[in-house]
Amino acid sequence: MISQLFILSSKGDNLIYKDFRGEAGSDVINVFYEKVMALPGDQPPVVMNHGDLHFVHVRQGGLYWVATTTVDSSPFSIIEFLNRLASLVKDYCGALTEKAVQMNFALIYELLDEVVDYGYVQSMSSDVLKNFIQTEAVSPRPFSLFQLSNVGLFGAETQQSKVAPSSAASRPIQSSREQGGKSEIFVDVIERMSVVIGSNGVLMKADVEGEIKVKCYMPNCSEMRIGLNEEFSIGKSQLRGYGAAVRVDEVSFHQAVKLDEFDSSRILRLSPSQGEQTVMQYQLSDVLPSAPPFRLFPTIERDSGGKLLMYLKLRCDLPPKSAAINLCASIPVPKGSVSMSLELSSPDQSAELKLQSRSIEWTIPRFPGGTQLSALFKVEVPGLSPSSLMEVGPMVLNFELPKLTVSGLQVRFLRLSPVQPGPAQRWVRYVTHSDSYILRI
Amino acid sequence: MQEWANQLCENRQFGSKMTDSKYFTTTKKGEIFELKAELNSDKKEKKKEAVKKVIASMTVGKDVSALFPDVVNCMQTDNLELKKLVYLYLMNYAKSQPDMAIMAVNTFVKDCEDLNPLIRALAVRTMGCIRVDKITEYLCEPLRKCLKDEDPYVRKTAAVCVAKLHDINAQLVEDQGFLDTLKDLISDSNPMVVANAVAALSEIAESHPNSNLLDLNPQTINKLLTALNECTEWGQIFILDCLANYSPRDDRESQSICERVTPRLSHANSAVVLSAVKVLMKFMEMLPKDLDYYGTLLKKLAPPLVTLLSAEPELQYVALRNINLIVQRRPEILKHEMKVFFVKYNDPIYVKLEKLDIMIRLASQANIAQVLAELKEYATEVDVDFVRKAVRAIGRCAIKVEQSAERCVSTLLDLIQTKVNYVVQEAIVVIKDIFRKYPNKYESVIATLCEHLESLDEPEARAAMIWIVGEYAERIDNADELLESFLEGFHDESTQVQLQLLTAIVKLFLKKPTETQELVQQVLSLATQDSDNPDLRDRGYIYWRLLSTDPVAAKEVVLAEKPLISEETDLIEPTLLEELICHIGTLASVYHKPPSAFVEGSRGVQHKRLTSSAGSGESVESPDTGSAAVSEAPTAVIPSQGDLLGDLLNLDLTPPTSTGPPPAAAPGMQMGAMDLLGGGLDSLMGDESEPLGGDIGGSPAMGAGFGAPPAAMPASFNAPISGGLDDLFDLGGGGMTMGTYIPPKAVWLPAMKAKGLEISGTFVRRSGVIQMEMTLNNKAMSVMSDFAIQFNRNSFGLAPAGPLQILTPISPNQSIEAALPLSTVGPVMKMEPLNNLQVAVKNNIDVFYFSCQYPISMLFLEDGKMERQVFLATWKDIPNENESQFQIKDCHLNSDAASNKLQGSNIFTIAKRTVEGQDMLYQSMKLTNGIWVLAELRVQAGNPNYTISLKCRAPEVSQCVFQNYETVLKN
Repeated sequence: MISQLFILSSKGDNLIYKDFRGEAGSDVINVFYEKVMALPGDQPPVVMNHGDLHFVHVRQGGLYWVATTTVDSSPFSIIEFLNRLASLVKDYCGALTEKAVQMNFALIYELLDEVVDYGYVQSMSSDVLKNFIQTEAVSPRPFSLFQLSNVGLFGAETQQSKVAPSSAASRPIQSSREQGGKSEIFVDVIERMSVVIGSNGVLMKADVEGEIKVKCYMPNCSEMRIGLNEEFSIGKSQLRGYGAAVRVDEVSFHQAVKLDEFDSSRILRLSPSQGEQTVMQYQLSDVLPSAPPFRLFPTIERDSGGKLLMYLKLRCDLPPKSAAINLCASIPVPKGSVSMSLELSSPDQSAELKLQSRSIEWTIPRFPGGTQLSALFKVEVPGLSPSSLMEVGPMVLNFELPKLTVSGLQVRFLRLSPVQPGPAQRWVRYVTHSDSYILRI
Repeated sequence: MQEWANQLCENRQFGSKMTDSKYFTTTKKGEIFELKAELNSDKKEKKKEAVKKVIASMTVGKDVSALFPDVVNCMQTDNLELKKLVYLYLMNYAKSQPDMAIMAVNTFVKDCEDLNPLIRALAVRTMGCIRVDKITEYLCEPLRKCLKDEDPYVRKTAAVCVAKLHDINAQLVEDQGFLDTLKDLISDSNPMVVANAVAALSEIAESHPNSNLLDLNPQTINKLLTALNECTEWGQIFILDCLANYSPRDDRESQSICERVTPRLSHANSAVVLSAVKVLMKFMEMLPKDLDYYGTLLKKLAPPLVTLLSAEPELQYVALRNINLIVQRRPEILKHEMKVFFVKYNDPIYVKLEKLDIMIRLASQANIAQVLAELKEYATEVDVDFVRKAVRAIGRCAIKVEQSAERCVSTLLDLIQTKVNYVVQEAIVVIKDIFRKYPNKYESVIATLCEHLESLDEPEARAAMIWIVGEYAERIDNADELLESFLEGFHDESTQVQLQLLTAIVKLFLKKPTETQELVQQVLSLATQDSDNPDLRDRGYIYWRLLSTDPVAAKEVVLAEKPLISEETDLIEPTLLEELICHIGTLASVYHKPPSAFVEGSRGVQHKRLTSSAGSGESVESPDTGSAAVSEAPTAVIPSQGDLLGDLLNLDLTPPTSTGPPPAAAPGMQMGAMDLLGGGLDSLMGDESEPLGGDIGGSPAMGAGFGAPPAAMPASFNAPISGGLDDLFDLGGGGMTMGTYIPPKAVWLPAMKAKGLEISGTFVRRSGVIQMEMTLNNKAMSVMSDFAIQFNRNSFGLAPAGPLQILTPISPNQSIEAALPLSTVGPVMKMEPLNNLQVAVKNNIDVFYFSCQYPISMLFLEDGKMERQVFLATWKDIPNENESQFQIKDCHLNSDAASNKLQGSNIFTIAKRTVEGQDMLYQSMKLTNGIWVLAELRVQAGNPNYTISLKCRAPEVSQCVFQNYETVLKN
């Protein structure tokens, strides 16, 4: 159970403080901030104690969300609670910034009162809460759909009207009913892949974690049905349909999802709450339905002049119509590296030797499927020994694959009832991120 | 609105200067005044804005209590938003203004009757939060009504309010009968109400440990399980945590609960998942392992645990700490999931380190190749801490999986070739461990190691290297040069290195006495005369004395065969592990400490299985991090400089039966279970012997060399040292050894049944020989002669080792004593009870039969003292079904006296820990047929009832052993 809760800005200013059980004074806020600041890098910051008071905290939106407890309570519930609280605040205030929290403190206090009673979490569902919450949110800036200045996650390459900008979904849920804001619904399929490819090119590990998120600004939507691929199968043994099945190992659903049509026709039924919710999470391990998106063909040697010669060919095995964007490869180099000269296969790429992190950063803004890029790095390492070559690698890739899910999961249809009037209210977006993509050398 | 938000920002800047109270009283008076006016405004909007401003000031820590009456005035409003704001203010300031808080009571009471359930709930919730004693009496009536309210929202709020009230005034809650109402709410139709009632009752029950508040019986459990399916995720957590405290009556009930809890494993909320895992892990203990369902359950546990690893790093870390426990308890659950623990490059370092630890725990012959390949990759990464741990992990794999040792060694050699300084040093430290585990196998690599001698700058690596040189001095041609090179900067080295160097040079001398005499004299004099460190001096003197009095004995001691190190050295102690398993998903599972170690006071501290000391937290850490705590020893794995002292100690104390009590820790010392003789000993020696070391160090004649030590020295030296050892290893109480307990003679064969022959007797074990001592009494009228004796087959194969020696006939009314030595190699048959012995005695008149029972301690061998490590591993290894628990009532010995007594019967105390006045003795005994019995004896000071847990591969003997404890302790 939670004894106190406070939200601090990154500078340690107290934005929200609520004492649920009267067990400790508010001076612990400073204690906490000092502890967090003094934490060495390798110490797990998750749980810290001060006497018999225990701090559990997460960082979201640049803010510290801290709960204290005096008894042996569950850190899972507390962390989960803090994360949910952050997203609840985001739903209600539209954004998760210091300013938004500051301006909406009355609303947040009201939320806290309903969400936690005497340290016991009561309910965090926005459906339930909407019956109780009276305070209106104050938006730091007026919301505009057309503010396309910060293009991020989604639709980075084409800014046509068919693609919703990533900022489209950040606004307070309640304002929609009064301000006559557009009623919209976003269904995002987001996957994160972690892959390890051995130096011999063998796929050593491949995991995909995915989730379907629904962000709903449609007050009068009583039910929605999300149809997934019919060939969607769960577990290693189960197979559906012919051939190209979409298979995952583990699925968990939000508790509001009704699954009566799921077994027969892979339809998720739910009455969406206002705001954001993760409807389904799934995992896929060890087997990818298609080849891993990137392969590396490295040649590492010591040239006659004692320089380290790295010739790297990187191949993108995505389907030709897709492309990876914002690809950044980082390759550790031996210690003592001083400088580097390079040749790259196309002008839009760039690369740089970062002495601080002892690595080369190779940036590729766009990398279409079915193509191959190469780079030649000559690194000056005084006193290069054969064993230093072992220090090269592994290469780590960061990228995103827009409009693509590596698992192959697709949303077949999205039906709302009652039928909503007007066009372009339903957005289905796909993206795959690299969580940890490692190519060993 | 923008305006007060800006003002808030402004205030926050002032917030930092808040200590300057003058500042506020002068300049801010105007502000308070302004707010006062606004609060009393007629316009609702204006009032609301004013209250908001007040609360904004309150948040940043400004004192706005002066506005209390004005704010309370705003309370009577039908605007819910305003009301909530006022209540918020009240909760904060009522405590500091109790008199004024009473002003608000009327409105509260009125609000509790409001038509709107939201207002009723709000009022009862807020009243509970006003922690003012005076207000409680007004709270009772409204609370009673709200507990029976028609609206579930009000009822669930009222349920929590009972817990609040209980915290302020427990007596009142009991007097008013709220507890019964609360119990009734467990059967409420609304699951949310049930969940809150359970939460409130659990909390209240914790402060009344003996009350039967949460009376969990199959009916209530059934209700809870039904509510579980319907209530919110948070409610599910309360209910699952409550279920975890229930003990099912049998395995069928266990199974049915497990079946109904299993669906929770796929919940999206990780807290629900972990609470469910806790319930399942606990109830699984009750299920028979051959049950199909047991296997099914094991399979079901893996996916949710794996899923937790895809959460945020914070949750991942907490999950990994829990998985670490689960893997130690039931490795089979995750044995196929090795890959999910491979680290990602972007994991935070604390997640990486935890994953590494779990990888080693899961390593087995089947997956070792994969694990090694991973570890080798990690060892070339950038992060120094991580690389170090990865190199150590390779060494631990070598020790754990014998088949992989060779590959591990070659991997380590590859890594040494990189010449990365910290990699080389770590590699040398672990290679030393590998030498200990597999002696005479990989010594070919020593040459390679010696090449890197120069680059070692960390004490631990230097100490390890010196150990290797000393240990294999006969194979290293220039061992003396190598060691000599270290000797130059002897006083600049850390203690660890100095101790190791001393030992290594003594070893070298014993192996190559001719060339190294000078070297050894040099090191002995450096250690004894020029050092301020008592550890070093003591060890120096011990060697000196050994070498000077009996070089042969010295060789036996110093070069004695070392015990092999065991693979699972970093396991959590079994009893602690069991307790921690009961706390899965709580802070205890993250700290890997029992709650008693970090939760103060009575609330929340329930010893789920066993209390444990804060000190044991050290042993919980893996040896790599733990070695910091045991800084004296090179690693927690092999406290190698402790060996010698350990050996010496054994020397002093053997035979244990005659010399004295076991080397259990002195009272008050708390030790981790791992390193009783290692690091612990060093520090003990250090503390205790400081003054005496000082005396001796001052002796002027010391430099004469060990060949002819000054005559006065041995005597004065000997006395204090042995005194020191006694201090350390004698237990405070008792001191004197108790002899074997010999039961008084009992009449086995009454004269009536045997034509006048009466036999009474007992069993004795004397220096390893079991004897049956009998008194034969002739109550008949004629002379008896021609005695012979035979045993029926019995459980432990007891048989007469020779004929019954009664040489003279027994005349009427004469009695004669006879002692019959027994062997344990006779034919075996299981008897009921186990220690029953059927005897036939023949004389010139007839053959008579009788049966008697021998105390099982007759069969306890003198060498029944288990190695600590072995004990730990065995305890873990023996399945839980084999554990039995007994109570010994009305025993008034303290634990030391008890341990002394038991030692007399060859029940050996291996370790002792003291926690909060409760002593825990870990004991072992070995039966003549090779069965080991492990025991844990808990003695609470002032409590005459002991608890004893016995674990044995042959659980049948437990009952007998327990009886034996009882008789030994009570006599």
